Amino acid sequence: MIVAALHKKLWSSEGEMNLEVEFSLEKGDFLTLYGPSGAGKTSILRMLAGLLNPEAGSIKVDGKTWFDANTKTNLPPQKRKLGFLFQDYALFPNMTVGQNLCFALSKGQNAQIVEELLDIMELRAMTDRKPDLLSGGQKQRVALARALVPQPEILLLDEPLSALDGEMRSRLQDFILEAHQRFNLTTVLVSHDVGEILKMSDTMLVLYEGKILKRSTPADFFSNKAVSGKFQFTGEILDITQQDFIFVISVLIGKNLVKVVADESDIRNLKIGDKVLVASKAFNPMIQKL
Amino acid sequence: MNVLSGKIASVAPSGDLSLVKVDCSGILISVILIDTPDTATYLKVDMPVKLMFKETEVIIGLGSTHQISLQNKLDGPVTRIEKGELLSKITIQSEAGAISSIITTNAVNQLGLEVGTLACAMIKTNEIMLSE
Repeated sequence: MIVAALHKKLWSSEGEMNLEVEFSLEKGDFLTLYGPSGAGKTSILRMLAGLLNPEAGSIKVDGKTWFDANTKTNLPPQKRKLGFLFQDYALFPNMTVGQNLCFALSKGQNAQIVEELLDIMELRAMTDRKPDLLSGGQKQRVALARALVPQPEILLLDEPLSALDGEMRSRLQDFILEAHQRFNLTTVLVSHDVGEILKMSDTMLVLYEGKILKRSTPADFFSNKAVSGKFQFTGEILDITQQDFIFVISVLIGKNLVKVVADESDIRNLKIGDKVLVASKAFNPMIQKL
Repeated sequence: MNVLSGKIASVAPSGDLSLVKVDCSGILISVILIDTPDTATYLKVDMPVKLMFKETEVIIGLGSTHQISLQNKLDGPVTRIEKGELLSKITIQSEAGAISSIITTNAVNQLGLEVGTLACAMIKTNEIMLSE
């Protein structure tokens, strides 16, 4: 269990901001930090990791004090049992995949974990390759495996998949979820992607200017109280064509391209690249066995 | 998309479904939803809501005495017609608000619709979405 109270004055692009958050997490929780840039999400991860010190507050993990401003307790990052994954893979370019993983072994640690992770992350075939020869998704899988080598209890993910395309992203999400479950991790994710948050996390903190606005399940937060339709997806506009006064909008939803007929009044604020909600009533779609 | 504002006049739940009647400037519009007051807290009498439905789901009739299953019938004069080769867009000014309908140009011609014609816009209860 993690109990954190984090207070610190920060400077964001908007100016000075007081980060004041208090939250607790049970072992095995998957938490997302959600909010606009400058809300303090990355600072919270860095404080948990020991890379940034709060001015006041404490961090306790399973009853053990990692940080306490009052008693000046401050466990160094390497003694906190956590793994960190960023958008940037930060792999050693001169080492092979296998060597990158072995480098993360702590002194005297059984190397069996490396073998196990090579299998789980499906990296076996590329063990002897250097990172330059890997795709973005493969590199991020190596980075994830490397973060798991020291067998952390907490995994911190700072928008780790935002540079990957849809399909690759979805696969990596599956790998992260598998690791989360198999190693009984407590995971904290920073993400803006609604689909990703819904798929991955069981609870979320909505942050704004350093404060927690809301703690909620993703389903409750995103369940579009906005419209009652039960057939709802979010997607991205790829194309808009016009035929007389009718507009046909092509929307990419996950891997599927769908088309939606729209009226002039609907498309007034829409342009290619926009994220949109596509909604219909549950009465409309037909269903057929394949 | 057509959007009308109103407030909830009644909610009749049954199983997972509810039949909701919304008062739009004195006209009652029926909506069927897969929600109940237990699953959607806004389903309460007097709550303000928006009704949303697509132009392509609005049926146009002449007169208002149809023997027809549609529950939502809104009378009013045609205020605008835009004719395309295959489809046309008709706007009807009903007491509940302006309603646009997209129907085939053949249908417009067969009905002899013109600006000023008194017509009836009809919407099935299962084609309307509610929004808080």
